[in-house]
Amino acid sequence: MLTQLLTKDCIQLSNFVQSWQEAIRLAANPLVRQNKIEQRYIEAMIQSIEQSGPYVVITPKVAIPHARPTDGVHALAMSLLRLQKPVFFSPNHPVFLIIVLAATDNASHLQALVDLTLVLQDSDQIDSLIACQHEDAIWEKIKQYTTKESTE
Amino acid sequence: MKILVVCGSGLGSSFILELNVKKALEVLGKEAEVTHTDLASAKAEKADIYLGAADIVNELAKDNAIIVSIVNMMNILEIKEKLEPWL
Repeated sequence: MLTQLLTKDCIQLSNFVQSWQEAIRLAANPLVRQNKIEQRYIEAMIQSIEQSGPYVVITPKVAIPHARPTDGVHALAMSLLRLQKPVFFSPNHPVFLIIVLAATDNASHLQALVDLTLVLQDSDQIDSLIACQHEDAIWEKIKQYTTKESTE
Repeated sequence: MKILVVCGSGLGSSFILELNVKKALEVLGKEAEVTHTDLASAKAEKADIYLGAADIVNELAKDNAIIVSIVNMMNILEIKEKLEPWL
């Protein structure tokens, strides 16, 4: 499910970004291009973090910015940005992986999140994703981590 | 025992945290009702334990309710250790 949603054309690599706001804008770009979200969804994600703090950094090195379905979501979608150098969501929150989540309701994205926890539950898996030098490699690894568990 | 997992929108982080709270309860061999919601709804919903990121749960000033704040939402051990004293 996760790899069907997080397709290769929604995965990007970048060396460095100036700010976490820029990281979110860049990470969400493919979704705007594919008309899955409106530009205002990006601003809503940024605003939400400015209001409630960097809790989108759900585990060290990983942030999952998101806003509400009513903030301009056309289709359930996810995108991922991998940074070579971390961007700081707060002085204590360096982030290498930004995974944008756009949900159309409060249920249809949940299986993808279950899969995402299979990827993020192991810090070695996170480090191995960060070390990837190609979009395909990230996609393949996510596929491996999410299918490993479900066949057991 | 009802545990309410809270995040800003009630869509992403709180669901992931709910999954991990359930895993932590399993490890502890304890049973509880676990659901997730957004901060605004949480203010009006009754629960025994409110759990979430510090940024969020600190905004929940509740009488007689236990507030548990989690730093690493993927860390089952942290969740387990912080919940255990209250169960």
